[in-house]
Amino acid sequence: MAKKPKPAQPSRRAIWSGSITIGLVNVPVKLYAMIYDRGINFHFLHQTDNQPLKYERVCTKDGKIVPWQEVAKGYEVAKNEYVVFDKEELEAVKPESDKRIRIDKFVDYFSVDPTYFNTTYALMPDKSNDAYSLLLAALQKMGKAGVGRITLRTKEYPVLVHAYKGALVLTTLRYAYDVVDPQAFEELKELKAPEKAELDLAMKIVKDLSGEFDITEYEDTYKQKVEELIAKKLKGEKIVVEKPAEEEVKGLMVALRETLKQLEKK
Amino acid sequence: MSEKLTKVQFTNLDKILFPKITITKAQVIEYYIKIAPKMLKFLANRPLVLTRFPDGVDKQGFYEKDAPEGTPSWVKTATLYSETAKRDVHYILCNDLDTLIWLANLAAIEIHIPLSTVDHRDKPDFAFFDVDPEPPARYEDAAEVALLLKEKLDQLGLEPYVKTSGKKGLHVLIPIVREYTFRETRAFVHTVGKQLSKEHAMVVSEFSETKRPGKVFIDYLQNSHGRTMVCPYSVRVAPTATVSTPLDWSEVKKRIKPAEFNILNVTSLWKDPWKDIFENKQKLEVK
Repeated sequence: MAKKPKPAQPSRRAIWSGSITIGLVNVPVKLYAMIYDRGINFHFLHQTDNQPLKYERVCTKDGKIVPWQEVAKGYEVAKNEYVVFDKEELEAVKPESDKRIRIDKFVDYFSVDPTYFNTTYALMPDKSNDAYSLLLAALQKMGKAGVGRITLRTKEYPVLVHAYKGALVLTTLRYAYDVVDPQAFEELKELKAPEKAELDLAMKIVKDLSGEFDITEYEDTYKQKVEELIAKKLKGEKIVVEKPAEEEVKGLMVALRETLKQLEKK
Repeated sequence: MSEKLTKVQFTNLDKILFPKITITKAQVIEYYIKIAPKMLKFLANRPLVLTRFPDGVDKQGFYEKDAPEGTPSWVKTATLYSETAKRDVHYILCNDLDTLIWLANLAAIEIHIPLSTVDHRDKPDFAFFDVDPEPPARYEDAAEVALLLKEKLDQLGLEPYVKTSGKKGLHVLIPIVREYTFRETRAFVHTVGKQLSKEHAMVVSEFSETKRPGKVFIDYLQNSHGRTMVCPYSVRVAPTATVSTPLDWSEVKKRIKPAEFNILNVTSLWKDPWKDIFENKQKLEVK
């Protein structure tokens, strides 16, 4: 089996610096990336000579490559009809990065559904240890999170500033218009309330299977397998493609191994 | 699969057998694999009667005594004369895990066992009280009668065991030394039932009284050659895949509902209230 991947390591470079502002109070902070997508990445190669491929912008009319200087931005208002902008026009309406995370109010952290969570950044004190630990302690003690706004590069995001594992972190949120209300699905209109006996049984099952949340119980088995294959390929081993057993059969084999062990003990 | 853990070739694993709670055949097989360490001892050397529902419990199923066509050669069978079928029947014996898995793969949802083993067919090793509530009597009433029955058997110096039927009733059993005929065990169970029906208006003990609404019938007739009971830990043909589950008497006292024991949770019960049942064979002589 492949060894467990090491947890992601902190980056040394802040991607943003500024202040958390709560009314008249300022807490200078630096923002660091905290979430990485470390799944397996492949590059496209040309099959005949294994050379990497690159992308070009090609004009759909004459098939010629278009240099960056000749690229404009268009907003499609109807099929094949565009409103065209040049760089300066868009630059003028860009939200200003004012180096502030403005907190508008505090809410109970658990009242915010993770549906709205986009990505999370680590907030580190920027010569502001006292103010930082004061805010952190207050949020921890009260289970609250600050809701506010930040402008990162060219985009303004709603954000949540909250405590996570003894640090302040910032989670960018999705706008309401990006999220579907599940009640809009027709299927839910046919739902009936379950009967009590059934509900009791379902609740018993849930109770029996209840435990502590531990994300490390889940492993990216695809990544592990591909990494094993990479190691083999590097050693020059030939890879035999095995047809994997069906998912169900795999589950049964796990149960079977456990039962055989128990029967052996008897 | 490089390693071979079972001789069984699985088929149609994603077939849904319990549509109400969406249980597939793979889940039924997984249940029987997981429960095997507790269940196999009750199956060993007993000619089985199966109820098979290959298209799911909401569709037509069938009883099966005869080993079906295509039974692999490694499955043990016993050829016996069936009184009910009036002919020789090749009964399946399930003495190992592979056979149990094979049965599950046949969608043999319910597995029924006789009260005697194949080598001593006329000498039962269980006395069996089938405690069956007649509506509007409910499980709670059956539990009350089962507790009265236990009290009575305790007074006689006996140690009864109890399981849910997986439906509305309870099964009370006494593991017994192999000295009695079915006529004798039947008479014993009937006598105890009659005594209880004299003492408690809720209890009936005669077949002719079984349809009296609101009563609880202590059925003695199952103590007969060729009769079967649903095997401990067998799944039942019921919409929520309930299981005939061995209980501790304290659980009967607490009126834990039989509906709470089903294919999804019985394997997570760590207790085995019937663990020592075959080491506790009793004599029916009344002390």
